[in-house]
Amino acid sequence: MIKINDLCFSWKTTPVINISNLHIQTGKHLFIEGPSGSGKSTLLSLLAGVLTPNSGGIEVLKQPLTSLSSSQKDSFRADHIGFIFQQFNLIPYLSVIDNITLPCSFSTIRKQKAITRSGDLKSEAVRLLKALGLTGEDIFQRNVNELSVGQQQRVAAARAMLGSPEIIIADEPTSALDSAHRDAFISTLFNECDKENITLIFVSHDSSLKKHFNHHINLGAINNIKQEQQ
Amino acid sequence: MAIFSLAFKSLLNRKFTFLITLFSIAISVALILGVQTLKDETKTSFMKSISGTDLIVGARGASSQLLLSSVFHIGNTTNTIKYDSYKEISQLPVVEWAVPISLGDSHKGYTVMATELSFFDHFSYANKQSLSVQSGEISDDMFAVIIGSDVAKKLNYKVGDNVVMTHGGGEIDGHDHDNIPYFISAILTSSFTAIDQTLIISLEAMEAMHTEHNDFHSALPSEQSTRTDTQQDDGHKHEQHDHDAHNNHDTHNDHAAHNDHDDHDDHDEHAAHNDHDDHNDHDAHDEHAAHNEHNEHNDHDAHNDHNDHDAHNDHAAHNDHNDHDAHHDHHDHADHADHAHQHNDTPEQRIARLLQIKPENINAVFIGLTSRQAVLGVQNYVNNYKNEPLTAIMPAVALQELWAFFAIAEVALDIVTVFVVLVGLLGMLSIILMSLNERRREMAILRSVGARPGHIFALIIGEAAAVCFSGIVMGIALLYGLLFALQAPLANHFGFYLDINFLNLNDLWVLATIQISALIIAIIPGVLIYKTSLSDGMNIKF
Ligand SMILES: Nc1ncnc2c1ncn2[C@@H]1O[C@H](COP(=O)(O)OP(=O)(O)OP(=O)(O)O)[C@@H](O)[C@H]1O
Ligand SMILES: [Mg+2]
Repeated sequence: MIKINDLCFSWKTTPVINISNLHIQTGKHLFIEGPSGSGKSTLLSLLAGVLTPNSGGIEVLKQPLTSLSSSQKDSFRADHIGFIFQQFNLIPYLSVIDNITLPCSFSTIRKQKAITRSGDLKSEAVRLLKALGLTGEDIFQRNVNELSVGQQQRVAAARAMLGSPEIIIADEPTSALDSAHRDAFISTLFNECDKENITLIFVSHDSSLKKHFNHHINLGAINNIKQEQQ
Repeated sequence: MAIFSLAFKSLLNRKFTFLITLFSIAISVALILGVQTLKDETKTSFMKSISGTDLIVGARGASSQLLLSSVFHIGNTTNTIKYDSYKEISQLPVVEWAVPISLGDSHKGYTVMATELSFFDHFSYANKQSLSVQSGEISDDMFAVIIGSDVAKKLNYKVGDNVVMTHGGGEIDGHDHDNIPYFISAILTSSFTAIDQTLIISLEAMEAMHTEHNDFHSALPSEQSTRTDTQQDDGHKHEQHDHDAHNNHDTHNDHAAHNDHDDHDDHDEHAAHNDHDDHNDHDAHDEHAAHNEHNEHNDHDAHNDHNDHDAHNDHAAHNDHNDHDAHHDHHDHADHADHAHQHNDTPEQRIARLLQIKPENINAVFIGLTSRQAVLGVQNYVNNYKNEPLTAIMPAVALQELWAFFAIAEVALDIVTVFVVLVGLLGMLSIILMSLNERRREMAILRSVGARPGHIFALIIGEAAAVCFSGIVMGIALLYGLLFALQAPLANHFGFYLDINFLNLNDLWVLATIQISALIIAIIPGVLIYKTSLSDGMNIKF
């Protein structure tokens, strides 16, 4: 479902990614680790079609990204990929519900899926929040800055899962959480992904999380770029 | 659409900076519209200064100069035309009416304009509105003054108050015509023209102020004892007699000529004059004799009743003659001398009432024609007038020409306001630019959920559009608030009537330009964020 062939990417003149071959199957939970600066975030941006490779091919859901125009890549991302960042995932001026339903502003496919699932966007958002362990009307109405970091990360996960995209990409989503919250977060995330048959690509420094995943990649190992820094 | 609601919510999130930007744009919008409104209103009120007058005739010279002096009472009043020219022009068959005006005096800085009563029938401003009276009534008394509303308000004058005019513009102290006081007979309602700052008197009164009538004191039926006691020179008294005889003459020019001579030392000439006029009035000799007698009496210290009585008789006869002549020469104001106010008159006023002299020179003539088609013909006639060099101007045309002089000031004002608006928009730009860095994360989140760089661009543009649009709306509200607040004070303190209209097409163009400029300016931060959102990928930088 994700195929990478001879992928090369450089930030300006500095080569960051050089991966000859990588295949990820549908529904797999992939754990990507690697030292800081090894290009993990860069790789995720390439997979999401935000960055364009210098050479080589990326195929996502049988769609070669290199053949898409940049706006087609943007709609492709909106339709098929959910993203969770390390922290500060939420737009501060939007309510919890508005933050979750944000992808529907850019993807009619996900909007349709969410509506067929729960009738309307709001109840689908509430369903996802409940599945992730966030209950109580007061939380939905609160300003997102009034949520704890753990709650914020679960709201971000709910957004990534809304409208069942085929792929969820998480860039160090647990690094701001303490270990108890981290484990709870990962297990709810896994549950949801399993139910929806979502492929999860998870980046972390934290090798203690490795055990939850059935696939692991060490970017330092598969990346042919020699690390000068750090 | 989603992106605009995002832009709006994003703005609400930054209320404080948003409000500051809003105010700066609102103020600049109010300023630019306000300046436009003031410009338009100034022009309209300028153009409304005179209407219904087809031609203004004055001495040969620049049309703007004639317009300024006759309509706005600004500038030079030394260019005069002959009263006779006015008479002749007014007799043209196409001339429906003609009103002479004479300027040159002032009262506490306000212009004194001498004219005829018909001025109030014919002068009109704005859309052919006539001057109307706010209190009192327009009196035909020779020493009545009708004052403009501003004069009354600023100097706190009421009907019946007495005022004294000052010679010239009042630059030199002690040139008051205080021997000829006027009583206020009427206060005009505000016309928002120069008339509001004007005192209107009769031509005869104006002439009386400017003529040295001391020589005539002995002609007065009473009180002359006190005046004549002060006169010692025998020769002087003789001259008085000559002048008295001259009163019986038909033409003013003779009078004026004599009046101009301060010292009439050439006795013989006057005597000759007398002889020459003998055939006109054979009574003159008798009167002369009577006067001589009278003067001799004056030389005596003691006054005896008999002599006084004689003198009175003489003067009564004199008076009759004078009235008669006045009737012949000028049809109006003939019975001024009999007016109720006469009992308060100073000797100078009494003399003036007796003499009823029209001025020899006037400043301008307002003319109404029987048909508009005649304008060019009459203008041509006046411009080629045979007896003296004259100019005739069409007020509407001259107003337009004069307004063109202000065009440069208008442009300067426009430039300033354009820069004020530009500063307002630059303020908006800097606030958007400053927000960009703290909003990179927001942009990355939007990108991650599928927003295109174009959406991010539109978000910035949309924000600028919203800020500018609210700024414009607020600016309009501010403008009308100010206009309504300033309307009364402007009218009261500056005599400037501000007509409040809805925004005109030009204003809407200005507003559209501001809105479009805001969008164009927002392209700068829009492009910046477009580029960063492309190059940053989805890395969230902290
Ligand atoms: N926008 C950018 N412009 C230029 N160079 C960049 C940019 N973003 C990242 N890099 C460089 O690319 C390399 C890989 O960065 P990347 O963020 O992918 O590392 P990472 O593995 O995600 O690190 P970390 O674990 O610290 O998040 C680094 O050397 C970084 O300096
Ligand atoms: Mg990273």
